[in-house]
Amino acid sequence: MSSQLLEVAGLTTRFETRSGALNAVEDVSFSVAEGEIVGLVGESGSGKSVTGFSILGLVDPPGRIVSGSVKLNGRELVGLSHADLRSMRGREIAMVFQDPSATLNPVLTIGTQMRLAIAAHESLSEAAATARCVDVLTIVGIPDAGRRIEAYPHQFSGGMRQRVAIAIALLNRPKLIICDEPTTALDVSIQAQILTEMKSLAARLGTAMIWISHDLATVSSVASRLLVMYAGRLIETGPIAAVLRQPHHPYTKGLLNSLPGVAEPGQDLVQIPGSMPSLVNLPEGCSFRPRCTHAEDDCTLLPAFTTEGARAFRCHHPLNLPVSASEARP
Amino acid sequence: MLGFVIQRVLQALVVMLVISALVFMGVYAVGNPIDVLISPDATQIIREQTIRAYGLDQPLWKQYVDFLSRLLSGNFGRSFVYNMPVLDLIFSRLPATIELTLAAVFGATLLGVPLGMYAGYRPDSLISKSIMAVSILGFSVPTFWIGLVLIFTFAVTLGWLPAGNRGDTATLFGVEWSFVTWNGLTHLFLPALNLSLFKFAMMVRLARAGTRETMLTDTVKFARAAGESEWTILSRHVLRLIAIPIVTVFGLELGSTLAFAVVTETIFSWPGVGKLIIDSIATLDRPVMVAYLMLVAFFFIMINLTVDIAYAALDPRLRTRRAS
Repeated sequence: MSSQLLEVAGLTTRFETRSGALNAVEDVSFSVAEGEIVGLVGESGSGKSVTGFSILGLVDPPGRIVSGSVKLNGRELVGLSHADLRSMRGREIAMVFQDPSATLNPVLTIGTQMRLAIAAHESLSEAAATARCVDVLTIVGIPDAGRRIEAYPHQFSGGMRQRVAIAIALLNRPKLIICDEPTTALDVSIQAQILTEMKSLAARLGTAMIWISHDLATVSSVASRLLVMYAGRLIETGPIAAVLRQPHHPYTKGLLNSLPGVAEPGQDLVQIPGSMPSLVNLPEGCSFRPRCTHAEDDCTLLPAFTTEGARAFRCHHPLNLPVSASEARP
Repeated sequence: MLGFVIQRVLQALVVMLVISALVFMGVYAVGNPIDVLISPDATQIIREQTIRAYGLDQPLWKQYVDFLSRLLSGNFGRSFVYNMPVLDLIFSRLPATIELTLAAVFGATLLGVPLGMYAGYRPDSLISKSIMAVSILGFSVPTFWIGLVLIFTFAVTLGWLPAGNRGDTATLFGVEWSFVTWNGLTHLFLPALNLSLFKFAMMVRLARAGTRETMLTDTVKFARAAGESEWTILSRHVLRLIAIPIVTVFGLELGSTLAFAVVTETIFSWPGVGKLIIDSIATLDRPVMVAYLMLVAFFFIMINLTVDIAYAALDPRLRTRRAS
């Protein structure tokens, strides 16, 4: 496993709230190889964004990482000093957010914002910094970057604005970019464009990505491996094609069934009954149990994270297991 | 932009005209200047000579038209009381008020905004809570009382600072200023401090509220994710994002303090225009009142114009909207 770029093990992030402590992320373990694109899917509140922020050490109080480890190239990030974390952010792991009109500062030119991001890590001359900004803007597909660099965010369209945000993330050539739903706020046609470009960009620059989304369709078009989160826990991981073809966890199957492509045209989309439980008041055992059609008595015990080859799942009654594997289980 | 400025200047002229008419009429509602100006035991002849000399025998509308026609040649008339040109009178007092106002407003802003930002950045720290406690005092304790306490403490009991007047002045750009001499500076300190407390409290509140709100936005998260330091985030991102309400209040305070620093000027016997206007109201010195209030209207409109131009400089989104 030494070739892994990022190794997350047993990561638990807890929020102390008035209504009690809740684990927004609980016992999450996964790894990302160099240049790999990993998709992280889940509903709102499943803990996927908090996982991203935990990796960067950017969880807002009252949240904090209570246990687990995040290793980047073998170097432990949990427990690093603020200064060390700060110098790691942007230079080794960068992040792109959902809504570029909220993330870019509306009163600074994009050039100023990009130069600030460079100055956080290197002291370059004004000319060298500008040259790098123009280079990166050109890479992400901003036409006439040399002139546009003095424009303000509101002078760009939504898609172009997100390209600028991506350019800022790329400025210091990080090895990993965490993309927190970067296409959700965009038009569908622009979404597809950005997806394709990000994918080829990652391949060209050798940048690894964690692509966070609630949209399985989006994720499946960029990622090579899939992580599915539910109520703060990873419940299924594996190569994307295999997971989509034969999901092991009933929740993953439910998600797949609810995609528009599955239902007959004109028919209602298939839904997973019920809604995600409150994190403050999780059901005993498997969190998905109350909504699961396969639940039995033993589901009141938390299932272990079981590995089967390249895939893993957290379920007592997995679906679609190869015959030999399911016979081997007691 | 130029059209915008011209529009504002024309607006200023209209407002000043309306104000001059209102004040001109209003003085007669307050009382007849003749009763104040002329000693009750003056002879009938002196009385009538005086009335004619000031043009007070004319009907009111005629007096106003005469006033306006003199105004076109830049003549605001003579003060009834001081018997000197009104503009000379006002401009002899204005530098005192200007330096007091600038010292108070700039001091309050330069100190209040950073402290308020700190209080918004670390709302739960002990320092922040102390800053907020001081700002509550600044809001709730009346200015005249604080002024008296300051005089009692620093001038009477400790004897560190003088209690009133401008002290030594020196000439700069052809005007007498206190702040250029050490002695004048010591005289300026207490009244400026007195005048700035309320403004300081307001700046702290504004900066704190803005910072608290801005720190939660994605803009700050994104800057953090890029590895920018907290100092960069506060000084480059947050300060710019919270600037608009601060500049607005700065302008308002500058205008109103320039016009009405009366209480502080009275307590510290500071010979500024605030004291002048109060005296001229008491003596029904109509030319001073009219000219002064027109000047105040002019100040306010010019300050608002500057603030509007500052908005455009601070927020590029407003620039585009105005141009289109």
